[in-house]
Amino acid sequence: MSGDTTRRDMLGQVVRGTVLAGMGGAALFLTKKADGQMVWQVNASKCINSRLDAADAEVCTLCTTECVIALSAVRAVNEYSKCGRCSICPAYFDVTSAVGDDGLPSQKLCPRDAIERKPIGKIDPEDPANNFYEYIIDEVKCDGCGRCVLKCKEPLGLGSIVLKVRYNKCVDCNRCAISIACPKDAISQVIKTEGLESSLASHTD
Amino acid sequence: MQYRQTRILAGKGGGEAQFREALRGLALDPQGRLYAAGDAEVKVFDKAGVLSKRWPAALPPYAVAVSPDGTVWAGQSGQVEVFDCAGRQKRTWTDAARMGRVTAIGFLKDSVLLGNAAQRCIHRFDYAGNFLNTIGKDNPLSGLHIPNGVVDFAVDAEDSIHAANPGKHRVERFSPDGRLLGHMGKFTGPDPSGFSGCCNPTNVAVAGPGRLCVTEKAAPRAKIYDYEGKLLAIIDSADFDRNTKNMDVVVDPRGRIYVSDPARLNILVFDPEGGVAS
Repeated sequence: MSGDTTRRDMLGQVVRGTVLAGMGGAALFLTKKADGQMVWQVNASKCINSRLDAADAEVCTLCTTECVIALSAVRAVNEYSKCGRCSICPAYFDVTSAVGDDGLPSQKLCPRDAIERKPIGKIDPEDPANNFYEYIIDEVKCDGCGRCVLKCKEPLGLGSIVLKVRYNKCVDCNRCAISIACPKDAISQVIKTEGLESSLASHTD
Repeated sequence: MQYRQTRILAGKGGGEAQFREALRGLALDPQGRLYAAGDAEVKVFDKAGVLSKRWPAALPPYAVAVSPDGTVWAGQSGQVEVFDCAGRQKRTWTDAARMGRVTAIGFLKDSVLLGNAAQRCIHRFDYAGNFLNTIGKDNPLSGLHIPNGVVDFAVDAEDSIHAANPGKHRVERFSPDGRLLGHMGKFTGPDPSGFSGCCNPTNVAVAGPGRLCVTEKAAPRAKIYDYEGKLLAIIDSADFDRNTKNMDVVVDPRGRIYVSDPARLNILVFDPEGGVAS
């Protein structure tokens, strides 16, 4: 008998290898999921509200309306290292509203008043613009509607505010209702990273 | 005052007159030639908009300027490179702290000004390269408020320095020794008479005696004001990328305006209605 491998043998090995690899991947995925390492998360570069290529886009509120959790498991998160700390933040103010006597826009953007504007340091009474401001999102009020995210996006803002699934709120559905509804596949299961968790820890309720 | 778009120069691509990845700074020389800094080189366009010269820079330039003696200065990270008018390197000034990211260059009668975006201020040097003083740093923010990451300024015939301070929605006027002399502009929301958004204007140029030309982002446009902040003209174009920002601007003595679009790597040319003055 010849020791040469036939084409059928080769094909069989490839199929067996592929099946084994698939089963191994699935087993690893299920193990990680069982360990709580796999979590649903928003990919900011795909999300309509934050991705850079969609100028003048309408706000997408599916993270609020589709999540099975009351008030959603998604929150707007300000990554402070990227924030410009502007006096007039387009994510805090409706910058298209009329200007008030104080020189600031007369209306806020957030329908739930979930963002607090705090001066950093002492305000110059002669010139309030002579100050940096911190914008703190109250996650008890925020429902992840994405309006502030859209207005923070470049070039109007700096893209420091993005939507994030909060692991302490998400109930980890097998099929996340937001991911099913999201038109841009911006929500997917990813391996939970400790760095992300700790960087957000101080802003969870 | 009204302007019409007459030409688009450069653009994105591999052609000699085009830029592949970046277009950051513009300048004019006394002969009306346009200098554009981008990628890792300087390109020179003649008055007809034809590329007449190009040469490489040691590092990707953020700014370009032509001094009264005709030398060409390119602002980079940590240094400024100086070329003769033929593009031969004459010298390099290096100062990691005061030239962290040089995004604007200007000239006074006795000194050179370098806008340092890393420190959010302007540093003044004599022509031998000795540091003289800092401008725009002495305030509660310890610098200009530039969320967009670019310091830009212009020098007028009286040696006043007009610096864009977008986070404060104004253009501030400084003396060479760093005294704040005044400012023009304020946030006016959707009313175009002032400035809109979080942080405008981003860039500024002198547009003749008593006038400034500034550019804004979101929505991208150029505007002309007098020194008191009275709006004189709005210059808009459908050819600006809606996502562009930090559009550098220069104005020639005849009133022709050149505006860069760093997103599309274009230079848009606008002439006053009725044509440029001869």
